[in-house]
Amino acid sequence: MSAALISLACTMVVFAGGGKETSSVESGQVLRIAHPTLTQSWSPLQGGGHQVRWQSLMWAAPMYFDKEGNLQPYVISKAEPSSDFVTWRLSVNPKAVFSDGSPITAEDVKGTWDLCVIPSTKHQRADLFLGGVKGFKEVASGTQKSLSGIVVKDSRTLEVILSEPDPIFDQKIATALIPPVKISQARDANGEEKREWWHPKNKVVVSGPFMPESMDLDQGIVVLVPNPNFFGPKPKLSRIIITTVSDASTATLMLKTGKMDAHTELITPTLIDDLGADFVSGPPLAKGHHFWFDYSKPPMDDINVRKALIMCINSEDLAKAAYPKGPYIPATQILNKVPGVDPNFQKYPYDPEGAKKALAASKYKEGRLLPKIMFVGISTPTHEAAAQYMAEQWRKILGIEGVEMKADLDSYSGPDQKSVQIFRDDVGTRVPDAVSYLLGSIHSSSGNARGKMGGYKNPKVDALLDEAKTKGVKDPARIKLAQEAQRIFRDDYMYIPYYYDVMSKWAMPWVMNFDKNDDWQVIEPWNVYIDESKKVKK
Amino acid sequence: MGKYIVGRLLRWIPSIFILLLLIYALVFFGAGDPIKLIFLRAPGDVAYDEARIEAIRESAGLNRPFPVQFGDYISHIIRGDFGNSLVSGRSVNEMLSAAVPVTLQIGLTAVFFLALIGILLGVIAALNQNKLIDNLIVGFALFIWGIPVFVSGPLIIVFMVMVIGADIPYGWSGLFSPKVIVPLLVLGLNPMALIIRQARAAVLEVMSEDYVRTARAKGLPSQIVVFRHMLRPVLIPVFSQLGLIVINTLNNSILIEKVFGLPGLGRLTESAIKDSDYPVILAIVLIFSIVVMLSNLLVDIMYPLLDPRAEYKRKGGEE
Repeated sequence: MSAALISLACTMVVFAGGGKETSSVESGQVLRIAHPTLTQSWSPLQGGGHQVRWQSLMWAAPMYFDKEGNLQPYVISKAEPSSDFVTWRLSVNPKAVFSDGSPITAEDVKGTWDLCVIPSTKHQRADLFLGGVKGFKEVASGTQKSLSGIVVKDSRTLEVILSEPDPIFDQKIATALIPPVKISQARDANGEEKREWWHPKNKVVVSGPFMPESMDLDQGIVVLVPNPNFFGPKPKLSRIIITTVSDASTATLMLKTGKMDAHTELITPTLIDDLGADFVSGPPLAKGHHFWFDYSKPPMDDINVRKALIMCINSEDLAKAAYPKGPYIPATQILNKVPGVDPNFQKYPYDPEGAKKALAASKYKEGRLLPKIMFVGISTPTHEAAAQYMAEQWRKILGIEGVEMKADLDSYSGPDQKSVQIFRDDVGTRVPDAVSYLLGSIHSSSGNARGKMGGYKNPKVDALLDEAKTKGVKDPARIKLAQEAQRIFRDDYMYIPYYYDVMSKWAMPWVMNFDKNDDWQVIEPWNVYIDESKKVKK
Repeated sequence: MGKYIVGRLLRWIPSIFILLLLIYALVFFGAGDPIKLIFLRAPGDVAYDEARIEAIRESAGLNRPFPVQFGDYISHIIRGDFGNSLVSGRSVNEMLSAAVPVTLQIGLTAVFFLALIGILLGVIAALNQNKLIDNLIVGFALFIWGIPVFVSGPLIIVFMVMVIGADIPYGWSGLFSPKVIVPLLVLGLNPMALIIRQARAAVLEVMSEDYVRTARAKGLPSQIVVFRHMLRPVLIPVFSQLGLIVINTLNNSILIEKVFGLPGLGRLTESAIKDSDYPVILAIVLIFSIVVMLSNLLVDIMYPLLDPRAEYKRKGGEE
């Protein structure tokens, strides 16, 4: 209903020919962003929340991945490991300066990272990037305030000592979520984050291509202007205005009529119909959604049952059931996007007859004799459509009648909570590395294996991944071992592949160069501009 | 009267204390771990490192026993300090000082206009009972009463863009900005239906009273009969609805402020609930409670002025 009204409204507006061009101003181009929440803190040291999606506009990351996935220097110009990958020498870019023209120093980098780890800052993802640094646990638990593993050698050089070898530490710090800040401005005398130091009223200095001109936290309006001292390319936009628009229908209408150009993250059931597929399109993410079997719960303790359930599913139909208009890609193997995706991976076949045979070979023999199959993670209409498709396939092919699906475990009654066998959830990696991807998804130490797969442990898989993680990034054995681990995991029939995520740009077609990376950041904000010829004419 | 007001105000103290205790207990025992909830406020956010979450909880003082935390909270409240937001660290007092005036301005203006127009329409409907105009007004009242603001708000925005080709009235530039007209209209429409129906019923009742018949029999002009003899008794039932209307207006402000981007208490409430930012939630609950209590007190104070029998009864008189 709302979609129809919005579409009708927009069509009328287009035909009426009223209104005026909105995003071109005399002094240059203005990018207007609708933001879904009333953000009260724009601290770059939070590592989460909606505001973090715009971090790269104001803050230069230590390093970053470009559109092609190549690691690029930014504040850190060079990261050199020792031969055993335990010590890393980081060089601060001599051109890197804050918006007041003062240099970004090694002390700023260390101070920022110390601040990210101490509990009171509440950084959400510090462990992902800095968890391997010596002394992390002490600082994260609040007993220390300085990471002993980060040593300032001189104003431009840092030495990072890790607790164990990590050949991809440089990739881990390629994120805008731990951007070096002017530490004398951000940290108070107690070594904790100063309140509202990031606000322009406190004369914040930033390092990114844009700097805040004003922040009205009560109205929810943040205005950014180009940073005159930015050490990278000159930004093409003259202004960025981020306005809180909490209501999704209002935001949709604003985007459709050209009052807004982009959104932080807009999710509505009719999004593609309202704003077009281009709005949500984007490059694939190293993240896949799958249905995981908990093999400690009957009937999933029987590999033939798992095999039968998997072979009933046509992966393309499954993804289409959830997202008939895209943009998501049907999944096959666990690995996607990262170097090391296995070209020879044998995807699970859609084979109804094979499924029947597998079930007959199980201890249950027939579908009607299986315990009730219960899903969790069916939290959106799209996931529900996918789960319904699976239930229907199982009913048609295997005669399974008892299937239940809920959003979360708490929705089940007490005894049933302990019997849930299928979890819909995603796995992925922030760094373009197959070993990291699999360590976080199928290794027995991963939360995914321990939780959703019911303590899954295949010693062969673990051994291969444990060996792979010690190999250098350029060592071909690293990928080979990872692929081998994935093949062995495949034969355990532990998951139903669902779809790979994309990093939606959530921007109208006239917003150019708005590509984002796996941290949801606009990769090169200085290149963003508005193509007026593509803009909606009211 | 002064004694009565002071007595009423003193009776608020335990009520507010119990209310705060209940809300605090609900949040403390029922709403989940606030740090985890803060961590999970945007899609893709993570909260898996239990040790780190525990350390953050400790640094925020959230692992202290319930009585200690509540006592601490109350001692700050007594000093007029609502504490700091768990999410942003921003002073809740500062947030409220920006949001309360916006909601008050919009709410009071809406209540004033809805009462004025509602009473007028109710009187007109009653004076034209069972005629076309009465049916139209009653039908209109039923129609607007049946449309919740979360439907009427977006619908009006779509209508404005579609038919008028106007800009979306979004944001806040002060009470005298034209952008405020639409939110005021939406905020006032729903409770106005209540006023229309109350006013109409009251006029119909008063019209059958002897003193009105006598006034008419004396040949007084209709306007004099209505304004001098009927309006005051009509205001009594309408005024007694004030508490209900204020509650309705506050509830609706959450939706209206979200749809129209008004930086008031409603939008702050929505944002605080989304973020599980309980110092903010508690402060807003307290403000809402005080507003509702004040409006009820106002009704109690005004009632004897409209109906002297109420004052007589309060002093222990018999009818």
